[in-house]
Amino acid sequence: MLKFLNKVGDYAKESVQAAKYIGQGLSVTFDHMRRRPITVQYPYEKLIPSERFRGRIHFEFDKCISCEVCVRVCPINLPVVDWEFNKELKKKQLKHYSIDFGVCIFCANCVEYCPTNCLSVTEEYELATFDRHELNFDNVAMGRLPYKVTDDPMVTPIREFGYLPAGVMDGHELAANQQRAGLRPAAIAEQKKLAESASAPEGGE
Amino acid sequence: MNPGIDLQQRFIETLTDFGLSDGISKLIWMPVPMLLMIFGATVGVLVSVWLERKISAAAQQRIGPEFIGPLGILAPVADGMKLVFKEDVVPANSDPWLFTLGPALVVIPVFLSYLIVPFGENLLVSNVGLGIFLWIAFSSIVPIGLLMSGYSSNNKYALLGGLRAAAQSISYEIPLALAVLAIVMMSNSLSTVEIVEKQAGYGILGWNVWRQPFGFILFWISALAECERIPFDLPEAEEELVAGYQTEYSGMKFALFYLGSYVNLVLSALLVAVLYFGGWELPIPIETLADLLHIPQDNAILQVVDASLGITMTLLKAYFFLFLAILLRWTVPRVRIDQLLDLGWKFLLPVGLANLLITAGLKLTLPFAFGG
Repeated sequence: MLKFLNKVGDYAKESVQAAKYIGQGLSVTFDHMRRRPITVQYPYEKLIPSERFRGRIHFEFDKCISCEVCVRVCPINLPVVDWEFNKELKKKQLKHYSIDFGVCIFCANCVEYCPTNCLSVTEEYELATFDRHELNFDNVAMGRLPYKVTDDPMVTPIREFGYLPAGVMDGHELAANQQRAGLRPAAIAEQKKLAESASAPEGGE
Repeated sequence: MNPGIDLQQRFIETLTDFGLSDGISKLIWMPVPMLLMIFGATVGVLVSVWLERKISAAAQQRIGPEFIGPLGILAPVADGMKLVFKEDVVPANSDPWLFTLGPALVVIPVFLSYLIVPFGENLLVSNVGLGIFLWIAFSSIVPIGLLMSGYSSNNKYALLGGLRAAAQSISYEIPLALAVLAIVMMSNSLSTVEIVEKQAGYGILGWNVWRQPFGFILFWISALAECERIPFDLPEAEEELVAGYQTEYSGMKFALFYLGSYVNLVLSALLVAVLYFGGWELPIPIETLADLLHIPQDNAILQVVDASLGITMTLLKAYFFLFLAILLRWTVPRVRIDQLLDLGWKFLLPVGLANLLITAGLKLTLPFAFGG
């Protein structure tokens, strides 16, 4: 009999505990309801792409020397370099250059290895088209610069999480002059210089 | 107690004043509350779908529907319109008759149950003596429809969903009925109007929750299970069964299931308000307020205010429980089928029986408080 009563007691205790945990959970969900939505309402609000964002590749026709390094470093040999050897100038002359962004994986290896810096990455990521062949950009299309989010009067630019001041979790309603957490690259360079000049007299002689 | 507004009496009197016979004016009156109730239930569903989407969004720090009408109020209407115009697909090798009959059999009893939901002393479609028993009887038709649609779809997921729905409905009907039985015993009546009247007089202190706290929890858990709301949404568990018995449905038939589930949820919330939270009664009884302000009981304005306050109170209480159900949806994970049956048979059923027994004992020992 005592054993049975003990069992009933334990069961009751467990039920109370379960109810307590559900109550705790409910208070958590209830608390979430008064927080501001973190939603970025896309066509009207856009995140500012980070500094190292690898978007659509930009190409400068006049700088290219048709060396085809970009083709060799590309994981799938994607760039198409159409050139002809000009015997009079004894130089390769570029006729066409194109990359199919429907196939490109945006690794930016070509940008990394280009000897003349004629390739660069942009922050453009809105590449939706009705026909996949429209994504095959030629040198003219690749020479265009994207419209910056911060310049677009139709768009409210919102800073990404890594660019928010310390302790701020949400980019909405943030003043433009509020700096992000941590030091800026320029400040770090300054510090380094100071540290070097401080340690120079000792290590000099 | 003042009888409040009797719309039926007034309506019929007006018509007979125009020279119509008594029978014809009664006949004209008859469809009015029914249509009003169906309309009200549908609007209630639209509101609860909107609330579900908005509150879910808020709980997840999203915005939810925003551009379809102010604050996205028209989103459920747009959903409904889409479903109306969608193609009605009957899968090959299914039983077309059972397939069509299933959703109808699910929706009709739920709508019929609104017969007994009172919004005021005379503000209900029909004051059936059987009242709350009628609701339990109607709600046990629903699993037949679910099983029917699951079986006729010729789809393994639909069949599994249908079987689960039937098992769940049957196991939770019993604790639900036990919880209701305790209330009925205390009120000496099955009629919903009388159950509310028994809670009147003392304001918030007279409500049944204080006398039936375990019964209330029991009722709410079982009602959630009956509505297949999220801790108990096994029949349509989308990670396992696609959508359960709804898998093969589209267009209007799917809309019926969708409508039915929300109508059922609103109904359950309304019945919690009626059975445990004093229905249309205010937290402070309106008679006391009228006495304080020296307004006579038969004042016409007081009666109108009383009636509208009654409707508002019922809806407020019901929508509070709807809100709780939505919040629970994002708080608790889905139970397993064995946990579900364990909870139903090993926890709710014994607790329900004990609750009934204790209520009976208290009724004998404390007849003034427990309706002896």
